[in-house]
Amino acid sequence: MLKFLKQVGDYAKETVQAAKYIGQGLSVTFDHMSRRPVTVQYPYEKLIPSERYRGRIHYEFDKCIACEVCVRVCPINLPVVDWTFNKETKKKELKHYSIDFGVCIFCGNCVEYCPTNCLSMTEEYELATFDRHELNYDNVALGRLPYKVTNDPMVTPLRELAYLPQGEIDPHGVPDERPRAGSRPDQLVDQYRPAAAKEE
Amino acid sequence: MTSGIDLQKTFVDTLMDLGLTPGLSKLLWMPLPMLVMIIVATVGVLVVVWLERKISAAAQQRVGPEFAGPEGSLQAIADGLKLVFKEDTIPAKADPWLFTLGPILVIVPVFVSYLIVPFGQNLVITNVGAGVFLWIALSSVQPIGLLMSGYASNNKYSLLGGLRAAAQSISYEIPLALAVLAIVMMSNSLSTIDIVNQQSGYGILGWNIWRQPVGFLIFWISALAECERLPFDLPEAEEELVAGYQTEYGGMKFALFYLSSYVNLILSALLVAILYLGGWEFPVPLDRVADWVGVPADNPVLQVVTATLGISMTVLKAYVLVFTAILLRWTLPRVRIDQLLNLGWKFLLPVALVNLLATAALKLAFPVAFGG
Repeated sequence: MLKFLKQVGDYAKETVQAAKYIGQGLSVTFDHMSRRPVTVQYPYEKLIPSERYRGRIHYEFDKCIACEVCVRVCPINLPVVDWTFNKETKKKELKHYSIDFGVCIFCGNCVEYCPTNCLSMTEEYELATFDRHELNYDNVALGRLPYKVTNDPMVTPLRELAYLPQGEIDPHGVPDERPRAGSRPDQLVDQYRPAAAKEE
Repeated sequence: MTSGIDLQKTFVDTLMDLGLTPGLSKLLWMPLPMLVMIIVATVGVLVVVWLERKISAAAQQRVGPEFAGPEGSLQAIADGLKLVFKEDTIPAKADPWLFTLGPILVIVPVFVSYLIVPFGQNLVITNVGAGVFLWIALSSVQPIGLLMSGYASNNKYSLLGGLRAAAQSISYEIPLALAVLAIVMMSNSLSTIDIVNQQSGYGILGWNIWRQPVGFLIFWISALAECERLPFDLPEAEEELVAGYQTEYGGMKFALFYLSSYVNLILSALLVAILYLGGWEFPVPLDRVADWVGVPADNPVLQVVTATLGISMTVLKAYVLVFTAILLRWTLPRVRIDQLLNLGWKFLLPVALVNLLATAALKLAFPVAFGG
């Protein structure tokens, strides 16, 4: 009999515990309701990509020496470098260059290792197409420059959290003139230059 | 005890003054409250769908629907219109008759259950003597429709969803009925009007929730399970069963399922408000206040004010409960099917039985407080 009562008591205790946890969970969800929405109204508002954003790759045909380093450092040997060896000039002659962005993982290795800096990352990320083959960019498509969010009259550019002034959380309505929190890299250079000169 | 506004009597008397027979006047009156109730239930669904989307969005730090109407309030109408214009398809090798009959059988009992929802002493379609029992009986028809549509769809997910819906509804009907039985025992009547009247007189202190706290919780949990609301939405668990018995449905037939699920949610919330939260009663006993101030009980202004307050109190209580249901949806994870049945049979049922016994004992011991 006592054992049974103990079982009932334990069961009741567990039930109360469960109810307590549900209550805690409810208070968490209730608290979230008063928080600021993180929504960016996408086609009308866009976040400004950060400086080191790894978007679609830009390529300058005239700078390329067809060394194929980009192919070698690519995790899947993606860039297609089409060249022939010109026996008269004894030089490589580049004919075509293409990257398939349907396969690219935007790791940036090719940009990192390109000896002539003919590859670079852009801030373009809207690559949607109706056919996946349209994502296979040739050297002409790769040479196009992306359209900046800040120049688009249809779009309200919004700054990311790290680029907002001190104390601001909501990017809406923050004027462009107000600088971001902390110092920019060029300011840091000025700040540390005298110290570095002294050490030398 | 005054009865407050009696629209039916006024209407019938007016028609009889115009020279109509009493039977004809009553016949003319009958469709009016039904029509009003159907419209109220449908508009209620629009409000609940909007609330659900907005509250869900807020709980997830989103904005929610914004562009259809002010603050997205017309989003539900836009969704409904889209469903109306969609093609009505019946999958190959499905049973066309059962497939069509399923959603109808699901939605009709829910709307019929609104017969017994009172918004005031006389603001009810009909004061059926077997009120809450009628509701329990009607809600047992629903799983047949769900099973029917699941079976007729010729789809394994639909069949599993239908079977789960049937199992869930049948399991949770028993604790639900036992919780109602405890209330019925206290008020000595199955009629919803009598149940509310038994709670009246002492304002918020007289409500059944203080006398039946365990019953209230059991009823609310079982009602959520009956509505297939989120902690118990196994029949349409999208990760496992695509959409359960709704998988093969589209267009208007799907809209019927969608509508019935929300109408059912409001209905359950309304019934919790009626059974446990004093129905149309204001937290302060209004007739006593009127008595103290010196306003006679048959004052027309007072009657209109109490009727309006009664309707808004019922709706307000129901919507507060709907709000908790939506909040619960984003708080609790879905239970597994075995956990669901364990909770129903091994926890709620014994607790409901003990609650019933305790109520009976308390009724014998304290007949004043527990309706002797």
